[in-house]
Amino acid sequence: MKWKHKDLLDLDVLQAEEIEHILHTAGPMKEILQRPIKKLPTLRGKSVVLLFYESSTRTRTSFETAAKILGADTTNFSVTQSSVNKGESLLDTARTLQAMNVDLVIVRHASSGAADFLAQELRAGVINGGDGQHAHPTQALLDLFTLKEKLGGFQGKKIVIVGDVLHSRVARSNVLGLKKLGAEVVLVGPPTLLPAEMNYLGVKISYDLDAELPGADAVMALRLQLERQQNGLFPSIREYAKLYGLNLERIRKTGKQTVVMHPGPMNRGIEIASDLAESPLSVIDEQVTNGVAVRMALIYLLIGGASSDVA
Amino acid sequence: MWLRQAFVVDPSQNLAVERDIVLKDGVIIEIAQNLQPEDVRAVLGLSNSEQIPQVNAAGKYLFPGLVDAHVHLREPGQEDKEDIRSGSRAAVRGGFTSILAMANTKPVIDQRALVEFVRIQGQRAGFAKVYPVAAVTKGFKGTELVEMMDLFEGGAVAFSDDGQGIQNSEIMRLALEYAKLTACPIIAHCEDNNLAGQGVMRRGEASARLGLRGIPASAESVMVARDVLLAGETEGKLHIAHVSTKESVQIIKKAKKLGIDVTAEVNPHHLLFTDEDISLTATAYKVNPPLPTRADQEALIEGLLDGTIDMLATDHAPHTWEDKAKPFAEVPFGINALETALAAVWQGLVAKGKLSIQKLVELWSLKPAQRFGLPAGMLKIGAPADMVLFDPDYKEEISAANLESKSLNTPFLGKEMQGFPVMVWVDGKLLLENRQIIDVKN
Ligand SMILES: [Zn+2]
Repeated sequence: MKWKHKDLLDLDVLQAEEIEHILHTAGPMKEILQRPIKKLPTLRGKSVVLLFYESSTRTRTSFETAAKILGADTTNFSVTQSSVNKGESLLDTARTLQAMNVDLVIVRHASSGAADFLAQELRAGVINGGDGQHAHPTQALLDLFTLKEKLGGFQGKKIVIVGDVLHSRVARSNVLGLKKLGAEVVLVGPPTLLPAEMNYLGVKISYDLDAELPGADAVMALRLQLERQQNGLFPSIREYAKLYGLNLERIRKTGKQTVVMHPGPMNRGIEIASDLAESPLSVIDEQVTNGVAVRMALIYLLIGGASSDVA
Repeated sequence: MWLRQAFVVDPSQNLAVERDIVLKDGVIIEIAQNLQPEDVRAVLGLSNSEQIPQVNAAGKYLFPGLVDAHVHLREPGQEDKEDIRSGSRAAVRGGFTSILAMANTKPVIDQRALVEFVRIQGQRAGFAKVYPVAAVTKGFKGTELVEMMDLFEGGAVAFSDDGQGIQNSEIMRLALEYAKLTACPIIAHCEDNNLAGQGVMRRGEASARLGLRGIPASAESVMVARDVLLAGETEGKLHIAHVSTKESVQIIKKAKKLGIDVTAEVNPHHLLFTDEDISLTATAYKVNPPLPTRADQEALIEGLLDGTIDMLATDHAPHTWEDKAKPFAEVPFGINALETALAAVWQGLVAKGKLSIQKLVELWSLKPAQRFGLPAGMLKIGAPADMVLFDPDYKEEISAANLESKSLNTPFLGKEMQGFPVMVWVDGKLLLENRQIIDVKN
């Protein structure tokens, strides 16, 4: 398949076959990660800029590792080191990057649409590393890759996503991808974090976790931003954990060897109990490994062009 | 000056028919059918040998100059976005001969000297007539009333903290009560800050899809309900700015039935765009109150037709391009509208048969002139010759090159629109010809 997108901003514009193609490309990338010497010449001479306005060591490191293994040069343009702190606008940063002739920009930003904005301003490719509450396509793709490995496919599989769906870019992008690949998705959370407008996703919305667990092939817990409680969106962490927290005993209600996922970092004892996070059902550590493989695949597809083969 | 064979639309006289009009000394001195040169010479007092200056207006409409009750001119303080001169030129180019300038400048218009400054700057510019709106509360703090009588004597025609809502209900009640001294309306920007939160567009499926924080419809509607109740209790005079929800329309309709002295305006963008038109990079569509849902929009149009909503107003809110060249959540609210609003409503509602031409002129000229007590809104003999000659066929691409406004934050930028003023007179002085402003030296 010929890759035809300059940017990866969200999964909504991708066809199911294109998503499958990314997952397929990530396969050999994961093999490379198992090798003793993890270094390819594929993207030698290509420059990748990591533009992180929100601190996220996990995601940034994952992208940086992926780019470096493929042989690209990476530059960190992170909050502490650059003019970001001096109030330089995203527009001026974009102009600077344009002048530097970089090949690929990976951006994380607290404002929804920041990646779309950069993509519009730049000749370089843009990968959205998470924008506001809008999208986090690489997290969704690594989740899809993990699910495909564990479940074999998506048709007829029931995936439950539980937590603060309203504010979650992870949930949004995951639902878009899962639907395209044919999975059945159920969103679960309290009404204040899962209001009626989330019906735009066209999947089942439920307030009752225990009622939705039976038959679930995978359950994904979302990270809870603790300040939501201070803003009055739910009464207490205690009540939240009681109603929507995952633990080993509760997950037995699925009646299956359910795959348990979390995008990290976890609030242990709130959205997920340690007994479950550390259990064999949990694939949380593998998600991290798969994150590097999927990001390698994306970087390769976006700027590898017709260059030499991967594996 | 003799204007020949214009199709005159003047709802104040129930007129929608071909007429000739004669002007002298800035005033309309004759309106009649098929005038002959000797008739015109007679009313103008010209001898037989003198030329009569004349304009052939056949095939075009003549409206009383439009009156815009909601304009942000940004002067003093933010002259990079707009100033009184550029904004009043833009007004003329858009067909507006009288405009109300909102008080949320820097500093806000809360003292007599500032009101007089705005008024005099408008006169110095010499384009559209600029009527200042003064703040309701000192410094827009929402805590102490301004010196309303002093501001009124300085030229204020209304009071408003527009740009933000007055959160303290007691202050709003006192404002409606005290403003009775001036007989000026309080213009309410209805927004509950807690409900609006950090929202940047209407809360609903579209905001959820874009991951943008939503402003619920109730952020406006609860304040509309509060303010009409307070107006009823105080028997004060209330004007609701930029109505954008169906619940607001229902409340205003009910309030009018109860005899409460309330009027309301709607902005063209709320009639023509919905939340579904917003994309993450389309920052020109970011406006407050936010673009409504389709159902709201239908209620707004219905309210406009049944008289619940009294007038159209642009809420012209200029911002520089760099203000708007940021991610959606970070850009300021506001649409630049003076030069596109009439064409937009013409194309979107009148040409589609949803709004009659008479009603258009009533809503955008007669009604606002009446509500704010302005000498405008009619083409009667003796009235100031504020007039718009409108060509329904005139097409123009909206571009930086032809906008008089200093800012370009319009969703219509780069698009071709149809239906524009081709000549505009203020007090009989021709200020627009062939879509070009005629520069005046004062
Ligand atoms: Zn306002």
